[in-house]
Order: sequence, then structure tokens, then C-alpha cells
Amino acid sequence: MASLSEEVLLVVKRVRQRKQDGTLYLMAERIAWGPEGKDRFTVSHLYADIRCQKISPDGKAKIQLQLILHTGESTTFHFSNGSTALKDRDATKELLQQLLPKFKKKANKELEEKNRMLQEDPVLFQLYKDLVVSQVISAEEFWANRLSLNTVEHSLSNNSKQEVGISAAFLADIRPQTDGCNGLRYNLTSDIIESIFRTYPTVKQKYAENVPHNLTEKEFWTRFFQSHYFHRDRISTGQQDIFSECAKQDEKGLKSMVTQGVKNPMVDLLLLEDKTLDEVRDCHGAGGRPTDAPSDQASETSSTDGNSRDSDFFQLPLKKVKLQESIEYDDLQGDSGRKTIALNLKKSDRYSHGPIPLQSQHYTTSQDIINSISIIQHEMRNYKPRLTQVMSSNAASSAITALSPGGLLMQGGGQQTINQLVPTDVQIELKHLYTAAGELLRHFWSCFPVNTPFLEDKLMGHLEEMLQAAYSKFQVWQTRRMMRKT
Amino acid sequence: MKLNIEGLLVYFPYDYIYPEQYSYMLELKRTLDAKGHGVLEMPSGTGKTISLLSLIVAYQKAYPLEVTKLVYCSRTVPEIEKVVEELRKLMDYYAKQTGVKNDFLALALSSRKNLCIHPEVSSLRFGKEVDGKCHSLTASYIRAQHHSNPCQPVCQFFEEFDAVGRQVPIPPGIFNLDDLKDFGRRKGWCPYFLARYAILHANIVVYSYHYLLDPKIADLVSKELAKKSVVVFDEAHNIDNVCIDSMSVNITRRTLDRCQTNVETLQNTISRIKETDAAKLREEYMRLVEGLKEANVARETDIYLSNPVLPDEILQEAVPGSIRTAEHFVGFIKRFLEYLKARLRIHHVVQESAPQFLKDIYEKVCIDRKPLRFCAERLRSLLRTLEIADIADFSAITLISHFATLVSTYSKGNLYDYDFHQKTPTIANPVLHFSCMDPSIAIKPVFGRFQSVIITSGTLSPLDIYPRILDFRPVTMASFTMTLARTCLCPLIVGRGNDQVAMTSKFETREDFAVIRNYGNLLLEMSAIVPDGIVAFFTSYIYMENIVASWYEQGILENIQRNKLIFIETQDAAETSMALEKYQEACENGRGAILLSVARGKVSEGIDFVHHFGRAVIMFGVPYVYTQSRILKARLEYLRDQFQIRENDFLTFDAMRHAAQCVGRAIRGKTDYGLMIFADKRYARADKRGKLPRWIQEHLTDGSLNLTIDETVQLSKHFLRQMAQPFRREDQLGLSLLTLEQLQSEDMLQKIAQIAQQA
Repeated sequence: MASLSEEVLLVVKRVRQRKQDGTLYLMAERIAWGPEGKDRFTVSHLYADIRCQKISPDGKAKIQLQLILHTGESTTFHFSNGSTALKDRDATKELLQQLLPKFKKKANKELEEKNRMLQEDPVLFQLYKDLVVSQVISAEEFWANRLSLNTVEHSLSNNSKQEVGISAAFLADIRPQTDGCNGLRYNLTSDIIESIFRTYPTVKQKYAENVPHNLTEKEFWTRFFQSHYFHRDRISTGQQDIFSECAKQDEKGLKSMVTQGVKNPMVDLLLLEDKTLDEVRDCHGAGGRPTDAPSDQASETSSTDGNSRDSDFFQLPLKKVKLQESIEYDDLQGDSGRKTIALNLKKSDRYSHGPIPLQSQHYTTSQDIINSISIIQHEMRNYKPRLTQVMSSNAASSAITALSPGGLLMQGGGQQTINQLVPTDVQIELKHLYTAAGELLRHFWSCFPVNTPFLEDKLMGHLEEMLQAAYSKFQVWQTRRMMRKT
Repeated sequence: MKLNIEGLLVYFPYDYIYPEQYSYMLELKRTLDAKGHGVLEMPSGTGKTISLLSLIVAYQKAYPLEVTKLVYCSRTVPEIEKVVEELRKLMDYYAKQTGVKNDFLALALSSRKNLCIHPEVSSLRFGKEVDGKCHSLTASYIRAQHHSNPCQPVCQFFEEFDAVGRQVPIPPGIFNLDDLKDFGRRKGWCPYFLARYAILHANIVVYSYHYLLDPKIADLVSKELAKKSVVVFDEAHNIDNVCIDSMSVNITRRTLDRCQTNVETLQNTISRIKETDAAKLREEYMRLVEGLKEANVARETDIYLSNPVLPDEILQEAVPGSIRTAEHFVGFIKRFLEYLKARLRIHHVVQESAPQFLKDIYEKVCIDRKPLRFCAERLRSLLRTLEIADIADFSAITLISHFATLVSTYSKGNLYDYDFHQKTPTIANPVLHFSCMDPSIAIKPVFGRFQSVIITSGTLSPLDIYPRILDFRPVTMASFTMTLARTCLCPLIVGRGNDQVAMTSKFETREDFAVIRNYGNLLLEMSAIVPDGIVAFFTSYIYMENIVASWYEQGILENIQRNKLIFIETQDAAETSMALEKYQEACENGRGAILLSVARGKVSEGIDFVHHFGRAVIMFGVPYVYTQSRILKARLEYLRDQFQIRENDFLTFDAMRHAAQCVGRAIRGKTDYGLMIFADKRYARADKRGKLPRWIQEHLTDGSLNLTIDETVQLSKHFLRQMAQPFRREDQLGLSLLTLEQLQSEDMLQKIAQIAQQA
């Protein structure tokens, strides 16, 4: 047995698989089954490979457990040890239930992640090929440098991926079926349970508290549905119901939300009314006689309370925005309303022309072009045809060909940039070399400041080698290119 | 753009204009020229506010002597703030175009709760508390005490304002509520009193209805507003109810008990003062002998806005001798109180007219009509003399005194009815409702005093009913349609379910199982096809509760929840605000939501559902007011007798204006779109349909009456698909959106002339 050194957590005898009796072993990292009398496993799955387990419903003649792998394959075990079969199965199930989630999270996560990154990012993939596959640097080193990036990226990509919401109808969809004898049966999947937990966090809490020590899973859900359907519109239920507390908590949450009030002043019904209390005086204010002002107010330093002020400032912007929104008529407004961000270019020439080969000596700026165009336009405007002194048609047509694209005078003109001069495969190669060299340089610079012996070693030892390797690669490319040219 | 409205140069702060805005300004200008009142209906979302402001400001600038002030009344605080922001936009445009710095002073005024900057006072949660606390820091005798005893706390912001605030006028500019607070903080002045003082010389004042219509408030705040002001009531479709509420009094046993304590406090204070400072009381007595001459002079010379609680005749007389001394007056109030208590001991409903009540009170406790009329004024004087600190405590006795004055003043012509009324049949909890039947009483001084009063709203149909119930003679009455390049509203009347059972909230059938199920199916079907938000209105809270309960039992609610989240309006404002915010959140993130709400509720009156917040409004049933109420019955009777308005006409009018308000919540502009579903077969009848605003009626074709649910779904799908197409400016230009050149063309002007329909 190859893996005797492994810790065996559970051994279940008399488990059939493909009509063969055998023994099921649950080990620290995998589940395995070997046929009776043989000392090797014919079935062995790492926990990490298992997607989920399924069990046959209670009351069925065959007591089975099915494992479904990430690849889609499945393996079914039939527990056939007579009276204890059910117990065996449940024990296996429980253990698997505890083990699987652990591995789901840990195992393969890194590899998967690396895989995913390589798949999602072609540049990285190319870099990997250039550097790791061609053995310029080792894979660990390649990833070690990426790892910090990796986690950042990971969290970012996680955020951008939307979580799947809860179907509004999930409770309505759990239609109980009558089982013929005045009972109801609910079919719960893990998705539904997840939805229930997300909708009612307090139920999740209750579940964690009570299952499995106080109640079995089945009992728990039975009680949940009884309570849910019975008390849906009642708040005060008996103390013995474990869910009455949930309802109360929900109610409390709602109440506190109500007392907090709303943020958007436009929907706050409490603020709508504007009626003052009837006032029984006219001693001052608008219509009143001015009273003599006491002059000793200097003693009262005005101290405004910071709190009320803060809350006001806090509230203001939203209110202003909402007010502005509500008085806007977008169709009455001119087009100027749309705000755009101006592109800020330091050298607009570079932007509009792109890289051009250096050999074209006469570098015309866009200002020159504009000037010449305006000069030509000006000339055109003042152009008076002198019909007696026209060119010969031959000369004219040759001038036209010379001025057409590809003609004599149009050669070397702006459009021919580097991407037309160099064949594409050479270009691609150059790009790869460029990024690979960039990556190496990144490694190089990330060694500074040199504060560990490892970094020093890296710097002195193989980084130089690496750069050398890269340089020689470049040399190869260079020669190939030259050869192609000649 | 700069417009020429019949010779008046109007700056309009946009590059484009809707044709109806131009037409609206024309009518408004004619109203101002004629120095008369106007009733103008223009759909919401067509830029009513900015049209009003542009024209009136231009008018003020052109004829500064003709129109000195604009008083803009709106209903809610957010509305008020919106108006000021639009005004700011206009003034910025003026400054940019003319290069002259703005010399207008415009400000918003609101209650202390929204303006107070005192750290302790402003942190109080309820308006009542803020008012009471403010008074206990700023009352004149408190301040006098502070003078002799510096430990007595006062409000330093008020002191500062009082010392210097009045001499230095607030600089020209646009002051919204927050701007006032900022200004107040910078200067160390109280923004509330600053605003109240500044409205006297401001060019534009924006505040709530109550400041002009509620006599108790108007007397304090708006009394001295110039006669040459233009008053605008925006969102005025409910103005009659505001008027009635402001003149009605409800008295419960609790009120009387609290009044009793008030009286005792008064008595004690009087006897104490008599020992210490008898001169004060004597002084007051002399003043009362002089009478209310001052006020009379002021009113006659047109300085004051008259107060309906203080009728003209009173001012010419001195306070009657029987209540002139403080003790006599307190004794008088006590007697009156005892009488009211006795009346509230009954166990059956009584309905009386005011003269009957007066006769009864004379026979039983020998209280004459004349002293009753002076009650409010007399109490005010007494409280001032006695230097009562916390007036919030005295609200009960103030209420009683108002009641006394009102009941004795408006007895002629049977203007008031009141009744004794048991709310719950088992527990005797009698309430004395003193209900004003005639909205014109509260608004009469406004029409009488100001040269132009403009009543405007998106839903004022039928136009002619407002002048009748408010008793005034407008020079212009016009209803404007919404010019549309695409039909962005789709009113549909659903009369039947797919099973052909009539859908109606009629009393006899509203609890019918089939009706409730069909309503549920309608909402379910719509929730499946309408994107984002749906708002559904019910006729009452009870009806909503019943329906939702039975939807739940039938499993309809569960199925609706598959499509959208459901939120419900409750009577608790804080809860509903929360629901509203969450509703908007659900619409924002694409989840979609349904808000179940109630017609005449706070949501239907004050919250807009622009764009995706309301793609469909469903009106379940016709929102009739509860017709069994005695107060309503009395009012209907009054309307019939006084104005020859038939009961049914008024009820339908009232129901339809609320229905129109509800469905109009979804359309806020021409780029917006929404379905308006009237789910009751009664809407198809001509008498109902005809009372909808013109801009909705226009789009109600014969093909959209009495539909089944399936047909509704088909039509809605078609409409929504069309509306989902891109809609650009070019599609609108020339039809529903004009440039200046287009506006000046001859045939466009002709077209515009047809937009306004004179009533």
C-alpha cells in the first residue's frame, strides 16, 4: 500500500462499488476504496477534486453515497452492511461534510489562480513562455514576484465579478409536495439553503447554534418551514419556537432603520408638512414692536454646537443634488450640458501620427501642415484659370500619378510607419523580447535596496546570467532580422 | 432665450421652450395686466414653475410700481425649496445675460423646525417642541428677566438679530432655507426671525399655504404684505380643503381637561400678579377700553391683511365690559368651559347650526354672543400681559377661544355646522367638530387684498368649480394641454377581468371575491410586463389591507413577488418614508418594485415618481371620499344650498381630482413616460371621464375604455415597446419643443393660440 503512512480517519467495511464488495477509507487528504482482499485502491479521489456529495433519500432500499468530481465524473458507493449501513453512510457523509469545504478553499487554489491568470492575460502567458519555459528564470521566482500583485489583482477581479443574487421567488418555488398521507415534503438544495441563509442571516445563526448538537438538519428545516408558514404575518410567537427570536430581531432591525430615518430628503414624508403651531403673541418678529435690546450680550460668547453643524454639512450635498435633479429639464437645456473630459496631450503630434521611422528627415509638425493647407486654400480661392496656358494632358496625368498614393512624390510620406516596414512575425518577436526584458529589469530593480543575503545572491549570481541570456536572445533575433533583410 | 410676451421682455433661462409654456405666460401676462385673479391648469412636468417665475419676475422688473412683490405659496417643504432653486437658476441667467448684478431679494420661509440654528432647540425632533422651546427663550418678558438676572437663558441668535439685524437689511440674493441658515450662522442671527422680518421688503417670498390661509399664522406672518403683490397658489387642486381645515376646530374631552388646567394656571398667575404688580393689569384694562382701534386704523389704511377670525366689526368696538378685567374674563372662560363639558357628556350624535348653539348657550349659561366674539383677542392680550412663558402649554385654551370667536362670528348665513359625534360606539369619546363649510371664508381676505391671485395646478378640472366654491371672479380661466411629439402617457380604463366580471370598487361589490382576484391578476400581469417601478393606489387604507390580505391567501401576492418587490404605505410617516427609499433603491438597481399606496395619502399628495420610479400607475377603484361622514354630508348640503352644486357632482369632482393627482404622479415631463391604469368600470362613464384634466382626457380614446385585463396587457406591451425606442431632441423639435426662431414663426403662434382652452 503506497499510502500507509497517511492518517486514516475512517474505515468503512462492506461498501460496494460497481457490484464489488470492498472497504472505503477516508484519509487526511483523499478518499479511497479498495476491493475485498486486495491491497490496492481501485478508486482514489483527492478531496480537492470532489465537487459535492449526494446521498440517497431516506427510506430507499439502497443506501448510497455519490461523489461528483469537478471533472463531472461521479462515483457511487453502496453501503451494504445490513443493519449498520445507514449509520455507516451517515458517518461518512458527516465526515465528508466537514472535510470537503476545507479542501475546497485551500487545495488547488493557488494553481487554479495561476492558471486563471495565465489564461486571462495573454501577455503574461507569453512572458511565462519566454522566461520560464525557456528557463531564463525559475517558475517560483517568476511567481514569487507576481504574488503580491496577484493578491491585489485577485481581490480586484473578485470585486468586479458580480455575485449571483437571490431569486425573488425562491421561497415561493419551494413548493411542498403532499406525500399522500396529510404530510408535506420539501426538497431543499444547497442553493435554496444558501438563499435562505442570505435572506435571513438570523436563521443562519440559529443553524450554526443548533445543528447538529441540538437538532438534526432535517428537524431544523422542518421547524423552519412550520414556523415560517405559520408565523409569516405574526410577530409574537411562543417562546419554545427557536425562530420567534429571529422574527423579533428582524422587527427590531426594521424599527431601528425607521428611527434612523431616510437619507434622501425628497422622500422624507416627515419633512413634507410645513405648518407652524398657532402662536399666541406678537411681541416681536415681523409685526411686533421692536423691543429694547439688552446690551449685556457680550458676556454670551456664541458657541455653536459642532454636532448639529456637522450633521447639516453632511446632509447638504445630497439634498442639493436631489433638488437640482428634480428641477432639471434635460430637453429644455442646450447641448452644452453634457460634460466631457478633455484629452490632455503634451505632444499632440505624437498622438496623431504614431511612431514613424526615423529616416524620414523632414519632420513636419501639424502646425506646418495646417499652415500649408491654409496657404493652398488661399491660393485656391484666388485661383483664376488661365485657359490659354494649360499644361499638356500628358504632363498633367503624370503629375497626378506622382501625387497619388504610391506615386513618386508620395513616397516616404507620413503613412508608412514601422508596422508597415517590418514583417509582423518579427514585430511580434520584438514585442516579446521587449516585455521579457522589461520583466527581467523589473526583477533586477526590485532587488534594490539589497538588504538580504538572498537578494544579494540573486543579484550577483543569476540575475546577471539572466540578463545575459536575454541579451543573447536579442542577439539571435538581431541576426535573424539582418539575415532576412539581406 | 429672450421672449417677447405681448411687448414684455421675458428672460427664460433655457435654450428651448415648450409651446404650452409660451401660451401659459401669455395668459398670465393678461391676468396681471388686468390686475385680476386667474385659474390656470397646466400638466405637471411642463415647466409650470419656471414659466410663472420668468413672467412675474420680468413683470416686476418692467413695472416695479405695479407689482411690488411675488408671494409664491406651495404645499410642501421640498416643493418650496424646488421653487427657490428654479428662481436661482432664473436669476443667474439674468445676471449672465444683462451683466447686471442681481438686485432682487428672494427668500423661503418655513417653520422654526426647518430654520432654527440654536444648538439645543434645533435638535428637538418635533415642530411643536421647537416652537415651544424657542418661545421660552425669546419671549419679551423672558428677555426682560434676563436683563435683570443674567442667569435666565436666552437665545443668543435672537438677541444678536434683535440688536442689529433689523438695521442692516439682508443683501439682495436668493435665500433658500439652507442659505438662510448659513447666513444666520455667519452673522450669528436667528434665521427664522430674520426671514420673517425680511419678507416685508423681499421681492419674492416663497412659503407654505398656511402662512397666508391659516388666520392664526397669517395674522402674525403675512399681515403687512403689500397690496400690490401677486400671490400664486401652486398645486392648488386641494386649496378648498386647506381653507376648510384652517377654519375648523375639533374639541375633545382631553382638550377640555387641559383647558381646565390652563384656566387654573391663569387664575393663580392673575392673583399673584395682582399682589405684586397691579399696575400692569390696570394698564391692560385701559388699553382694552381704548379698543382695538389701532388694528382698525391699520386695516382701513390697507396696511394689514385682514384676519377672518377678527372680523371688521369687532375692531370698531371696545372689548365688552363683562370680560374687560382679567378675573372677569377668566370667570367667563370658565363658564364657557363648563358649558362645553356639559355638552360633551351626551351619548348620542347631535348636529346643530351655529345660531342654534348660540341660542342654547344663552339660555343655559347666559353667555351673550358679543363677548364670545372677543374671546380670541382678549385671551391674546391677557397672555401677553401675564407673561406666560411656554405658550405650547396654552394651546388648549387658545383653541377654545378661537372656537368661541368663530362660532359667534360666522353664525349669520348658517356658515358653520358642528356636531357632537361619537367615534367608537362602545367607548364614549365625544368629539366636538366645529366644521367650516365654506372654504371662501379663509381665502376671502387674500382675494380681497392682493391685486392678482393665481391658482394653478396640474389638475384643476373642471375649472369652473373653483371660482364657485372659493367665491371669486377670475379674469382668466384656462387649461393647457401638453404638446407631445410622442404619446408618452397611456391612460387605460380596465373594466373587466378576463372572466368578464366587472371590476369596480363600488361599495356593494368591493368585497366580492371575483373583484379582488381580478384586481390581483391585473397587478400580477402588469408586474410581469412593466419595467422598474409600479405604483398602485387604493381608495383607502382599510380597503388596501383587506385586499392585500386576501391576495396573500389566494397566493397572488407570492406570484407578484416573483416579479417585483412589494412595498406598502402605512399611516406611519416614518415607516412609509423608509419604504419609499427602499422602493427607489429597488428601482435603481433594476430589481423593480411595486408600491402599494393610498389615494389622498401622503405619498399621493407629495411624492413624484419620475422616470423609472413610476412606469405605471394603477388606480384601483374610484377614490370617493367616505360619504357617510356627517361633516361631509353637512358640507354637501351647504354646497347645494349656497352654490347650487349637486352632491354627486361634487363627490365625483373630488374623486376625480384625486385620481388625476395619483396617476399624474408618474409623468413628470416630456421625456418621461408612463401607463395610467384606471381599474374601475365606472371611469368609462362620461360624467367621470369628463372630469379628468384635459391633458389626460385627450389620450383616452374609445379603444381604451372598458378593457379586459388581457387587452390591457396587450395595449401596455405595445406602448412600452414604443416608448423604449430612443427619443432624441430632433424628434421633439418643432412639435413639442421650440427654438426661438421656431417660436417666432407665424403658424407656430397660431398653433400656440389653440393650446389654451378658455373655460
